[in-house]
Amino acid sequence: MSSNQYWNRETSERAQYSQDKQVTQPANIICLTDKNDDANRKLYDGELPEGAKILTVASKFDDFEIKELKEANANVVFVSHPKAREPLAKLLEEIPSIKWVHSRSAGVDFISSETLANSNVYLTNAKGCFSSTLAEYTMMAISYFAKDLPRLLKQKQDKNWEKYPVEEIRGATLGVVGYGDIGRAAAKLSKAYGMKVIALRRNPDNSKDDPICDVVYKNSKESLHQLMSESDYILCAAPLTPETKNMFDAAAFSKAKPNSVFINVGRGPIVDEMALIGALKNGLIKGAALDVFAVEPLPIESELWDMPNLLASPHNMDMTKTFMHEATQFFIDENLPRFLREEPLLNQCDKAAGY
Amino acid sequence: MFMSRVSAFSRQILHESKKSSRIQKILDIPSAASGKRSYCTSSILSGPVVIPSENADPSMKKYKFWNREEYATKGKYDYIINISPDSIQREAKILNLSDPDDEANSALFESLPYGAQILKTGTKLVDFEDVGVNEPNVVFVSPSCPKARKQLPLLLARYPSIEWVHVRSAGIDFVVSDALSELPVFMTNAKGQFSSSLAEYTMMACSYFAKDLPRLMKQQKSKNWEKYDVEELRGKTLGIVGYGDIGRACAKLAHVYGMKIVALRRNPKLSANDPYCSAVYGTDKKSLNKLMSESDYIVSSAPSTVETRGMINADAFDAVKENAVFISLGRGPVIDEDALIAALKNGKLKGAAMDVFCEEPLPESNELWDLENVLISPHNMDQTSTFMHEATEFFVYENLPRFICGQNLLNPVNPKLGY
Repeated sequence: MSSNQYWNRETSERAQYSQDKQVTQPANIICLTDKNDDANRKLYDGELPEGAKILTVASKFDDFEIKELKEANANVVFVSHPKAREPLAKLLEEIPSIKWVHSRSAGVDFISSETLANSNVYLTNAKGCFSSTLAEYTMMAISYFAKDLPRLLKQKQDKNWEKYPVEEIRGATLGVVGYGDIGRAAAKLSKAYGMKVIALRRNPDNSKDDPICDVVYKNSKESLHQLMSESDYILCAAPLTPETKNMFDAAAFSKAKPNSVFINVGRGPIVDEMALIGALKNGLIKGAALDVFAVEPLPIESELWDMPNLLASPHNMDMTKTFMHEATQFFIDENLPRFLREEPLLNQCDKAAGY
Repeated sequence: MFMSRVSAFSRQILHESKKSSRIQKILDIPSAASGKRSYCTSSILSGPVVIPSENADPSMKKYKFWNREEYATKGKYDYIINISPDSIQREAKILNLSDPDDEANSALFESLPYGAQILKTGTKLVDFEDVGVNEPNVVFVSPSCPKARKQLPLLLARYPSIEWVHVRSAGIDFVVSDALSELPVFMTNAKGQFSSSLAEYTMMACSYFAKDLPRLMKQQKSKNWEKYDVEELRGKTLGIVGYGDIGRACAKLAHVYGMKIVALRRNPKLSANDPYCSAVYGTDKKSLNKLMSESDYIVSSAPSTVETRGMINADAFDAVKENAVFISLGRGPVIDEDALIAALKNGKLKGAAMDVFCEEPLPESNELWDLENVLISPHNMDQTSTFMHEATEFFVYENLPRFICGQNLLNPVNPKLGY
């Protein structure tokens, strides 16, 4: 990607900015974070590029000294606190000098608001930083069902040596809904396995020359249904936006192949969970693997806990020991230097679209 | 004009055949001593001169083994030699040493190429009584024949006209014996046929431990939402003991995951230019221990031979890296199971995933069943619903036509070496 509009850990080159260029504007950073968050240690205590400095670290709006921040010409907000939506909106209203908001995570739904959408700030995130781990999880989830791991584990418990045929991943079809970095990383792995890849995205033209996917659909109800009917494994790697909310509803699941498996690494609310439970109970799909849920933590009363054909994980399948440290490092090493030199920032998000 | 079509290679073989009458020398089956390989059938001595089939794709001629990922789209074979009246060198008269009810062999009865016929199917010498002594020239043997190890040499002794034995499976340990090693026969197998399924299993086994699937399932059972750190495979090292087709298929996948790969094989030079491995070791003890000490995940995909039996022993397990995971999918006897169990119990190994065992079915008394950090599968991780059918089809569509047209056969194996 020569224009390098996003950072992808597997393929992007580090420090691809004009390093000899002069710093032309300061970075006066407000950290809307938990001050005890160890992953941000390098930001709080470490060496920052010349021209950048941390003005304050706080998580509640009341803890910010607005007047002082305005006088210090605060122009950057680094966000990692889960309850940042309101404080951020208020900061944007009160401090017009803010030019840039960077989200440490890939998802920006947690800070979306009308204020943010209407503002003039750059919004950047950590897309591409978590993709490979989630791709690994995707292949594991596919294997879990293809080799019937639940059966294997039960047979072990019973000390039962009973041969049974396993399914091949090779030759099966993976439908990727939301073909961004995570979707593409999963597709890359699945291609190596010999799978056929169908991708669905808002802007199919962006994948016109993509060697990894075999077919690309434009996002619509019909094309989603088409994808459901063609795929043996469906991966939802889409962001949560007004368009994607409840995208996977009863109608979509009714189109699925009966032996298919649904995997969600995007956001929980994209799936109508009642419809999914129905699909699992009635054999509309063979099984599902979910790392994200409409409500997290998943409430004890949820029927999902009891489904035998569901693999549930506590939204931790991208949670490596160092991933948040790396995400913070990305801000320090890649986007901060670019901002200081007024170069285009990586991973810019469309505030209106929400991703 | 006839002679001008004979390749220089064939001319050399004809010349050498005049020097010695011993079939073994001419056959030049792959051996450790020479790295050189040549794949000619014994008919060069007695039959017509080998003329390469014109319908065969010249670029494929140098492939010495069948690898399903590269050569077939599911169920279809793309390097098929077309048999025409011009290209037929001889007929194939086949003895089928398999269970007659073995459904996987259906291709033998439904799709035999022109010039081939099954003379008889049976599981012991006496079943083939009415077959004339000079009739058959090919034996097809399946694991469904219960005492194949005993019967095959008997068959070969009774029918000296047999030139070629094809083993349906990849493992040939169920047919090799000292008696077989004495006999001059050209043998081929199904290596490469099962590799992709086993590669899929290997990556699943690695992820099983990296994402701590046991913990996940326990938490799910107790409705416990507790976040925990997962490990990445990206950046970790996979050590492959036995770098044949299966090992290479594993390497191919692991490479895309971003793993570093080190391999170990009898002839490391053969993998000198392998694009996946950062290091290739030989089979000496020191190298094995080095591989064990460098790898986060170790997969044993070696065949069971006199040399490999018990190869991965207590010393090897002592050398492992902290948190290492061991995956066994070649043959059980390559591992010293007691040493493995000890390493699992004393925490040297984080866990193990095993598809093969010294004794199969695995007896209930074996401790492996009780160890929490072991993933056990009943030697079925390559058992797709069609794999044995496809293995038979490989014989019928790929090697039989080559034999009939006097072409080099795919997947030669050395019974003396055991693989």
